[in-house]
Amino acid sequence: MKLLFKFFILITPILFLFMFYLLLTEDNSYPGADYDTQNFPIFELETLSGKKIVNTNINDKALLLNVWASWCITCRVEHSYLMYLNKQGIPILGLNYKDEKEDAINWLKKYGNPYKDNIHDYKGSLALDLGVTGAPETFLIINGQVVAHYQGEVNETIWNDVFLPIIDENRIF
Amino acid sequence: MRPYGMMYFCQLLMKIGYFKVRFLCIVILLASVNLISESIYNFQNAEDEIRFNNLIKEIRCPKCTSGSLASSNAPISQDLKLKIVEMINKNKSDEEIKDYVSERFGADSLYEPAFTEDTYFLWFAPFVLLLITLLVFFFRKAE
Repeated sequence: MKLLFKFFILITPILFLFMFYLLLTEDNSYPGADYDTQNFPIFELETLSGKKIVNTNINDKALLLNVWASWCITCRVEHSYLMYLNKQGIPILGLNYKDEKEDAINWLKKYGNPYKDNIHDYKGSLALDLGVTGAPETFLIINGQVVAHYQGEVNETIWNDVFLPIIDENRIF
Repeated sequence: MRPYGMMYFCQLLMKIGYFKVRFLCIVILLASVNLISESIYNFQNAEDEIRFNNLIKEIRCPKCTSGSLASSNAPISQDLKLKIVEMINKNKSDEEIKDYVSERFGADSLYEPAFTEDTYFLWFAPFVLLLITLLVFFFRKAE
């Protein structure tokens, strides 16, 4: 019994140290990524060109939804990679977040338009329903279901490590 | 016209007297604070307002490292608070509102962890540890 007790006293701190070691050195290189699936929220908004758009309009097999705004500096950084993705034939839907319509249209004219369409979410209501905390954020949507979500700039590394595994798994694009 | 108007106004104020002006300023200030504060959140009754104030203390601000919704004035927190008011006015329960938030901003957006399979360790570990300690303690005594 005494031996067991001594063993216990010795092993407890070692176990705790081991636990902290595991927790603190956990290799989570992409804290902005999550793969929670969620139905695309119901919404009714206008596009930047003034057309009505509702959630049933997003019934494409698969598409990328990118949250952006003309006031967002990281969106400008991300923009060239989105242009590249669009050239590769990946459909990107824009969600213009808390932006003036005019500013957004001018921004697209100035830098180029990688989006097949843009939802104008002036109040951020759809963005809130999606769980957006800022811009830029990118969602991968398959058959009206959100399957991947990334907070922050999408670039080649993020695309390859966060999105491509899911894309390959589902054999889309 | 404007400077003249201003001057006339000042002269008028002097006529009324400094004390009265000061009193008037305080009244205007207090009234304006009340007028503005009332228009931010509208509730059907006082209980709903209490519910709201308790809820925003139990929900984490999605953009802050560690701060409640109540403590945060970030744009996303303002939106989320307005959404919560909207849900309260639609007679949604506290549970429904918390589910809405944790579905979108993660389980860690609630200060009190939910009681699910993932959190059994969190809830039971202290009691298990206490039990083990007590067992060891009594067994030693018995020897």
